[in-house]
Amino acid sequence: MFKMMKKIMTYPRLTQDYPKKPLDSHLFVGSPVIDEARCIFCGECVTRCPSTAMVIDKEKHQIGINYDTCIFCGLCAEICPEGAVTMSTAFELAQKDRRLLRKETIVIEGRDPSDESYIVLCNKLQQKIQKKFKRSLQIREIDAGSCNGCDLEINALNNPFNDIERLGIHFVPSPRHADMLLVTGPVTRNMEQALIKTYQAAPDPKLVVAVGACACSGGIFRDCYATHQGVDSILPVDVYIPGCPPRPQAIINGLLMAIK
Amino acid sequence: MQDRIINEKISQLLYLFKDDIYKRENRSNEIYLEVDIDNIREITAYVNETLAYPLISLFANDERTSSEQYALYYVFADRARGHLLILKAMIAATKAAFPSIAAKVPAAYLYEREIHDLFGLVPSGHPDPKRLVWHENWPEGVFPLRKDFDNHQRVPFVNEEINFSKVEGDGVYEILVGPVHAGIIEPGHFRFSVSGEPIINLEAQLFYTHKGIEKLCEGQTIEKCFFIAERISGDESFTNSMSFCQAIENIAGIQIPDRAAYTRVVFAELERLICHLGDLAGICLDVGYGFAGYQFRMLRGWAYWLTDELCGMRFLRSVNKPGGIRRDFVVGKEKHIIEQLTKIRHELEDTVKIIKSNSLFIDRVEHTGVVSQQFAIDFNAVGPAGRAAGIPCDVRRDFPYAAYGKLEFKVSEHHNGDVNCRMNVKIEECEQSINLMQQALTEIPSGKINEKIPSLQPYSFGCGMSEAPRGENIHWIMTGENNTLFRYKIRTPSFCNWPVVCHAVQGNIVPDFPLINKSFNLSYAGNDL
Repeated sequence: MFKMMKKIMTYPRLTQDYPKKPLDSHLFVGSPVIDEARCIFCGECVTRCPSTAMVIDKEKHQIGINYDTCIFCGLCAEICPEGAVTMSTAFELAQKDRRLLRKETIVIEGRDPSDESYIVLCNKLQQKIQKKFKRSLQIREIDAGSCNGCDLEINALNNPFNDIERLGIHFVPSPRHADMLLVTGPVTRNMEQALIKTYQAAPDPKLVVAVGACACSGGIFRDCYATHQGVDSILPVDVYIPGCPPRPQAIINGLLMAIK
Repeated sequence: MQDRIINEKISQLLYLFKDDIYKRENRSNEIYLEVDIDNIREITAYVNETLAYPLISLFANDERTSSEQYALYYVFADRARGHLLILKAMIAATKAAFPSIAAKVPAAYLYEREIHDLFGLVPSGHPDPKRLVWHENWPEGVFPLRKDFDNHQRVPFVNEEINFSKVEGDGVYEILVGPVHAGIIEPGHFRFSVSGEPIINLEAQLFYTHKGIEKLCEGQTIEKCFFIAERISGDESFTNSMSFCQAIENIAGIQIPDRAAYTRVVFAELERLICHLGDLAGICLDVGYGFAGYQFRMLRGWAYWLTDELCGMRFLRSVNKPGGIRRDFVVGKEKHIIEQLTKIRHELEDTVKIIKSNSLFIDRVEHTGVVSQQFAIDFNAVGPAGRAAGIPCDVRRDFPYAAYGKLEFKVSEHHNGDVNCRMNVKIEECEQSINLMQQALTEIPSGKINEKIPSLQPYSFGCGMSEAPRGENIHWIMTGENNTLFRYKIRTPSFCNWPVVCHAVQGNIVPDFPLINKSFNLSYAGNDL
């Protein structure tokens, strides 16, 4: 007992002050950035990108990265003959509109997320939620086929370093108690029904947040018989958090963006 | 030279079944024997029972393009001598059936069902030939791993029936759990048949996270497949990438430079440490022992700082590369990392002392979720689950790779097979991992960090084995044209250990299930692929 008390006194507070204070990110490997002035438009990174996130228009001399698909592996930075691609330390990449993450416009099977009425609907929902939940948010996490990397990072939100409850955010065991669904994975064929049922079980109004490259776009696993191309091919998504997996702080950033 | 791995046991086998063995090929530590499919039962039973080689993988390959036949590969391991015996049997495409060996070699039980689902090859005489990979939504007669299946096609949804095992009797009822669970974990459906408190039977329906990884890799470049291999299972990213790299290096016949080998040890052990600390935290939290749980989570957080310092990625991705490592990650950081590891070791020792003197906690973990040694042998339980049940196998020692042959470490061995033993194995392995990292960082030689992989011959094949935090990990690769993959078979430790979990919970009370499950902490993604 005394030993236990001693330990508790030794480490009184481990929790980081993020998001109040910015995080020292100089060690992180974040998003790749292209210096268009140095790029020679050879297309090497485009052909070799494992998740086909790079897009190029050789004639118009345009190149870009679809961050919703990028798996942040750093291969482009490694193979660029001109050193035009570098890995930045940026990790707060979450966006409400998937188009802001992309260089290329998207057509998604089944649903078109850039529909105007959908955005209006989302905004209305948002206002309602802000009124209703104000400073407390209940989240249900659903793994729709991730590699468990994103789940571990969501789990890490509850560890002593991040302690997400200090922000009034709680994880709940049932979708019936949830205001927000945090979905990871590209949505596999076998999880499709379960995901839809969980969505239906959550009371309105509700938010859906896609965590990780797979959930944002299908990532490296898209275009396969057993997977969909991300959560928004099944459900309307409010915030996209890219990353493979996104750091716990990147997830906090995304969650706060959802209720901001 | 080639024949040095042919020992007495193998010679005996070659002699006894000389009429059934058509061809023999030796490649580094792998012996390939092409055998007659009609006598596969006798041969595998002999290898498994008399020679006592466990079946560690079994998979099919669609070789109709070259030979009008499907091939089955039965992989047996001789752990004492560090080599693999791989029996290859051909099945005529028109026949599409093979004799099941599951009655004689229980470990084959799940592999044969998997082959049935993915290839449509029928294991005749299988004791329980129901679906494994497919749920009720998958139509009959569609087999994605056949080469004529188009990966981009949308397979229609149907409503087939799944036969769960039924337990009948007075007062027996079922508890259904999942696939969406109460905690933040991966999806899986569990069916408990319960009478009062004790669990009579548990059936797990997995494969909710089946992403078709094996099919996805076919025809893709080695470079792309490497990144897919890293994403098989999040917390085993490094070990999976290492198995993939080793398979490629094995096929190319190259030796990685010493500096890369030592660096791989550092990363692999760091991953093991992080994984085990998470499991220990989970075990403590599942019995409501918050203090210890948060102590371990704090240690895990410290270990994550090391990953940031070493490579900037919390999941140790983009570190490996076929032929070595991507950059020199450890240079100049050795001293600081060793200091940090010493700090983690002291705190870990203190915490372990506290939890072991807590009799309430020990009472919960002792004699809970017992795995019998015989069951562990029969179903090839690997990793901490096997080592806690008296099977002291460890790929790092039995099939030395990277720099493990040059470093000193102890393989834990416990015999009771309960949660307490698995916890102790994990605690001991944490200490061993810290030791190994410190040794590797002290002894790391300078020099090159990677070798160039030459263009690979089409249709050459090889295995890559490594010890993941959860146990033995074996990847088998056959190359295709232009440095692509023709077939990629991934067998992660979770696939072997899931039947062991279902066995371990029998007779325990339902509230102990989370605890038992956590003591194994298997990966769903690694199992489902």
